[in-house]
Amino acid sequence: MSELSISGTIKPTKKYSVGNIIITILLLIWSALQLFPLYWMLTFSLKENSEIFGANIIGLPHNWLFSNYTTALQSGNMFRYLLNSVIVTVASIIITVVAATAATYALTRMVWHGRKIANAIFMLGITLPINAVILPIFLGLSKIHLTDSYWALIIPYSAFALSMSIMIASSFMEGIPLEIEEAACLDGCSVYGIFWHVILPMMKPALSTLSIFIFLQSWNELMYAVIFISNSDYRTVTVGIQNLSGSFTTDWGPIGAALVIATFPVLIIYAFFSSKIQESLVAGAVKG
Amino acid sequence: MKLKKILSMVLATGMIVSLSACAGTTSTTDTTKAGDTAATTTAAAVTEATTKDTTAASTEPVSLTMWSIATESDAFNEPYNQAIADYQTANPNVTIKMETFENESYKTKIKSAVAANELPDIFFSWGGGFSKSFIESGKVFALNDYYTDEYKAQLPEAALGNVTVDGKYYGVTYATPVSVLFYNKAMFDKYSLKAPTTVDELKTVCQTFIDNGITPFGVSVKDTWVLAMFNDALTLKTAGPSQVKDVLTKTSGSFDSADFLTSATTLKELIDMGAFIDGATGLSNDEASALFYNGTVPMYVTGSWMGGSIMSDAANPGDFDVAPIPVINSSNAKITDFMGGASDTLMVAASSENTDAAAKAVFELTKSISMYAYLKGAGIPAWKVDYDASAVNPITAKVAELATNATSFTLWFDTLMEADDAGEYLALLQELYVGNITPEDFTAAMGEQLAA
Amino acid sequence: MYFRSPGNGTSYPFDARYINRTWRPVPRNLTEGEPFMDKTMKNRTAILLFMLPACILFIGIIIIPICMSAYYSLLDWDGITTPIFVGVKNYITIFTKVTIGFPGAVRNAFLFAGLSLFIQLPVSLALALTLAKGIKGEKLYTALFFVPVIISTTVIGQLWLKIYNPEYGIVNSFLRAVGLGEYTKTWLGDSNTALLAVFIPILWQYVGYHMLLMYTGIKSQPTDLREAAMIDGASNWQISRYVTIPLLKPVLRVCVIFAVTGSLKVFDLIYVLTNGGPAHASEVPATIMIKQLFDRNNYGVGSAIAVFIVLLCFFFAIVIKKVFRTEVD
Repeated sequence: MSELSISGTIKPTKKYSVGNIIITILLLIWSALQLFPLYWMLTFSLKENSEIFGANIIGLPHNWLFSNYTTALQSGNMFRYLLNSVIVTVASIIITVVAATAATYALTRMVWHGRKIANAIFMLGITLPINAVILPIFLGLSKIHLTDSYWALIIPYSAFALSMSIMIASSFMEGIPLEIEEAACLDGCSVYGIFWHVILPMMKPALSTLSIFIFLQSWNELMYAVIFISNSDYRTVTVGIQNLSGSFTTDWGPIGAALVIATFPVLIIYAFFSSKIQESLVAGAVKG
Repeated sequence: MKLKKILSMVLATGMIVSLSACAGTTSTTDTTKAGDTAATTTAAAVTEATTKDTTAASTEPVSLTMWSIATESDAFNEPYNQAIADYQTANPNVTIKMETFENESYKTKIKSAVAANELPDIFFSWGGGFSKSFIESGKVFALNDYYTDEYKAQLPEAALGNVTVDGKYYGVTYATPVSVLFYNKAMFDKYSLKAPTTVDELKTVCQTFIDNGITPFGVSVKDTWVLAMFNDALTLKTAGPSQVKDVLTKTSGSFDSADFLTSATTLKELIDMGAFIDGATGLSNDEASALFYNGTVPMYVTGSWMGGSIMSDAANPGDFDVAPIPVINSSNAKITDFMGGASDTLMVAASSENTDAAAKAVFELTKSISMYAYLKGAGIPAWKVDYDASAVNPITAKVAELATNATSFTLWFDTLMEADDAGEYLALLQELYVGNITPEDFTAAMGEQLAA
Repeated sequence: MYFRSPGNGTSYPFDARYINRTWRPVPRNLTEGEPFMDKTMKNRTAILLFMLPACILFIGIIIIPICMSAYYSLLDWDGITTPIFVGVKNYITIFTKVTIGFPGAVRNAFLFAGLSLFIQLPVSLALALTLAKGIKGEKLYTALFFVPVIISTTVIGQLWLKIYNPEYGIVNSFLRAVGLGEYTKTWLGDSNTALLAVFIPILWQYVGYHMLLMYTGIKSQPTDLREAAMIDGASNWQISRYVTIPLLKPVLRVCVIFAVTGSLKVFDLIYVLTNGGPAHASEVPATIMIKQLFDRNNYGVGSAIAVFIVLLCFFFAIVIKKVFRTEVD
C-alpha cells in the first residue's frame, strides 16, 4: 500500500522496484537522445567546415574556433536580431493570450447563437498552411504601410497563433467546474468580474503553456520574417542566421555559433518558465 | 497587475516603434566607412521616363537603398562593400544603404516585392527567364540612356544579352561565371590521365578511375542545380549553343529531338557506369563539394566560383586545375563554347524616386564589383580588365582566360527558361537520375512542357 | 429545469433548482423559467467585447487571405503579370499531371498522420503519465524532453543530414560497426527509405510538444479522484486507464487534432532534409505547394493545393471533434 504524506501527495513506498529501474533507464536514454542535438550544436559551432563535413563530426573540436562566435556576433549582428525577435515574440504572446483567453471564455462559457459556428470557424486557423497566404497578407500590409516594421510580423504571428491558443485554452477552461463561477455569480460578480477574478487565476498553468507554444511558433518562423522585413534594423534572429549562408558555399561554424547564441537564452527562459509552471500547477490544482 | 504593466509597456513600445517606422528609415551603414550621414531623399519625384534629369539634382544629397545576396559570408560581400565605398567617396552627396539576403529566400522575397511594389532603388536579380516577368510588368527601369559610349567600350553589349528585352537594357552585369570542369590534377597524374576533351576521353577517364575503386564525379542531386549544371554542359556540347537557345526560349525547334536525346542518353550511360558519387541524391552541394576538396572524388563540374572556394577550403589547393567541358558532338559544339555568361545583374526599380541617381550608380558599382571580385578570385569579370590582375589566384585566372577566348555563352537552363519550365526541367532531371524515366521519356516530357 | 422552494416560510433569498444534475441554490429574483447563470452569460456587450480582438485578427489575417487564396486558385497567374481566369482547371491539374506528384504527396501525408497518431502520441502519453506520477527528477525530465521542440528546425535538419550521411553518418557507421554493413543505404537519397527517414526526426522532435500538453493537463486535474482510486487498491495502470485518461479527454482531443493537422501541413524539416526528393519520394502537399508558388511562379496551382490542404484539415478536425465529444459540447 502507499502512504499519504502530509502535503497530500502520494509517494510509492518501494523506491527501487524493478519497474522503477527500467523506467529510469528508459527515461535516461530518452533524455540523452533529446540532449544530443544541443551537444552537437555546441561542438559544431566551434569547428570549421572541413571538420563538420567529414573529419570529425561528433567529437569535440580539434581546433577550437572561438572566432566563429566573433564572426557571428560582429558581421552577424546577433544582438540586434535577438532583440527584434524578443520584441516581436513577446508582443505576439501578449496579444494572442489576451485575445485567445477572452474569446475562449466567450466560446465555452457564454451563451449565444452561432457559438458553435464560431468555434468551427476558428478551427480554420490550424488548417491553414501559413506560407500559402503570404502574398495576400503582404499585399494587404503594404497597402496600409506597415511593412518593414515590428507590426508586420506581430500581427500575422498573433493571428496564426490564435486558433491553436483557443483550442488549448478551451481544453483547460472546460476543466474548470461551473460551481466556482456560479458561486462568484451568487456573490454578485458581473461577467467581467468572473473572468478577471475567477477564470484567469485558475488558468495560470494554461497561460504559461500557451505562452510557450506561441513563443515556439513565432520565434522560429522564417518565411514571413524574410519577406516582410527588408530593413536589417528590424530583422529577426531566424533571418539573421540564414544570412550567414553564402550563395554557393556555407560557413557552418558561425551559423552554429549564431544558433547557440539564439537558443541558449531560450533554454534558460524555458527552464525558468517551466519551474514557474510546476509551481503554479501544484498551487493552483483544483481541489474538488 | 503584472499583466497590465507588461501590456502597457508593450503598447508603448509598439507605438514608439510604429512612429519611427512611419517617420522614414534611418540610414545606418553597417560595414562601409564612408558616407554615414542620415540623408534625406530628394522631394523631386523622378518619373520612370528614360529622359535624363537636367535639373541640378546632382549635388543634392541622395539616399539610395539597395538589395543584394552578398551576405556576410558570401564571396561577393567584400567586393560589393568596396564598390559602395568607392562610389560614395567619388560622389559624396550619395549614400547607398545595402541590405543583404540569403540566396534562396531572396528569390521569393524579390518576387513578392515586385508583386507588391515594395522594391528598393537598386536590386540584384538574375537575367534570362527569372526577371522576364519583372520586365514585362514594367517594374524595371530601362537604362539605355545611361549606357554611354565610355561604358560600351568597357562592357560589351553581349554582356548585357540576358537583360535585354526589345532592344532595351534593364540591368547591368558584373561577372561572367562559366561552367568548367574542376579536377584534381594530382589524382589524374597518378593514373597518367589528362583532362578529357571529347566524350570518348571522358568515358575512358571515368572508367580508369572506376577500375581503381574511385568514383569520378562529385555531384549533388539533392541540390538539383548542381546536376543541372552538369547536364546543361553535356547538352550544350551535344546540341550546340544556337540550337539550345532556340529550343529553350521557345523560338524554334523542340527538345524532343535527336541531339537532346543523345545528351540525355550520354548522361544515363555515365550514371549507369557508376561515374557519380554514391548517395548524391542525399548530399547537399556543401557536402558533395567537401568530398572533392578532400580528394575523395577527382572531378566536379560547377561554376567558376569554385575556384575561390578551392583556395580556402581545400587542404592542398595546388592539386587542383580546371578545364573546359568536353565536346560530345563536334559538328554542333566547340570546346570554346561555354555554359554561363553574365546573369547576375543589378537593376533599377521603375518605382524608385531616384532613378537618375540609381541608374548612374549601377554602372559604376558594377564596374567596381567586377574588378574587386576578380582580384579576390570570386568571379570572372564582365568588364574590361585594365588593371593589375597578377594577384588573382591561378585557377580563377585560368578560367578568366578561357572565358575571354570563349566563342559563345549559353545561360544555365534553369535561369534561361521561365520559372515553370525550369522547375519541370529540374524535376525531370531528378527522375532521370534516379531511373524512374528513360532518356526518351525525359526529352519527350521536356518537349511537351516547352510546347505548352 | 426543476424548481423548488425551501418551503415552510424560511427567509432564505434563494430557491433550489436542479441544474447540472444537482440541486443548486438560485436567487429568488431571477426571472421564472430562466436557467440560472443565463443573465450574466448572455450579456451581449460582454460577448462582443470578449470576441472582438480575436475576431478582428482572425478575419483580417486568416479568413480574408483564405478567401483570396481560393480566388487565386481559380487563376493562371504568376503573381506579377495579369492573371487569366481558368476556373477549376488547377484542381484537375494537380490530380492529373503526373510530374507534380500530388496524389503521392497526399498519400504520404496520410501515412504520416497515421504514424503520428499511433506511435508519437502513445509515446508522449506514456511519458506524460510516467512523469506526472511523481518520480525523482520530474522537473528535470520535463525540461529536457522539451528541448528538441525549442531548437530551431535548421539545427535539427542539419543534424539529421549528418546522421543520415551515407559515408560518415552515425546510422551507417553504427551498422558497419556491428557487422551489418550490407544494410547501409543512402537513407535520404534512396526512394524506398527517404519517406521514413524524413518522418523519424519529425516524430522525435514533437514528442516533447505533445508530452508537455498532456503533462500540464494531467497536473491540472483534481488529485482526489486518483487518491481515492489508489486507496481502493487500484494499480497504476488501472488508475491511468479509468481515471487519468478519461479526465484528460479535452487535452487529448487537442493533441490528436494538432497531430493530424500538423501532419497534413508538415513542411519545415522535409524541406531542409530532402525537399520532397528524390523524385517525389518524400513529397508532401506543403512542399509541392511551396515549389509551385515560389519556384515555379504558379500561383494558381499553388493556391489550389493550399485550399485543398485547408479543406482536408478542416474535415479531419471536425471529425476528430465529433469522435471526442465531451460533456460541454
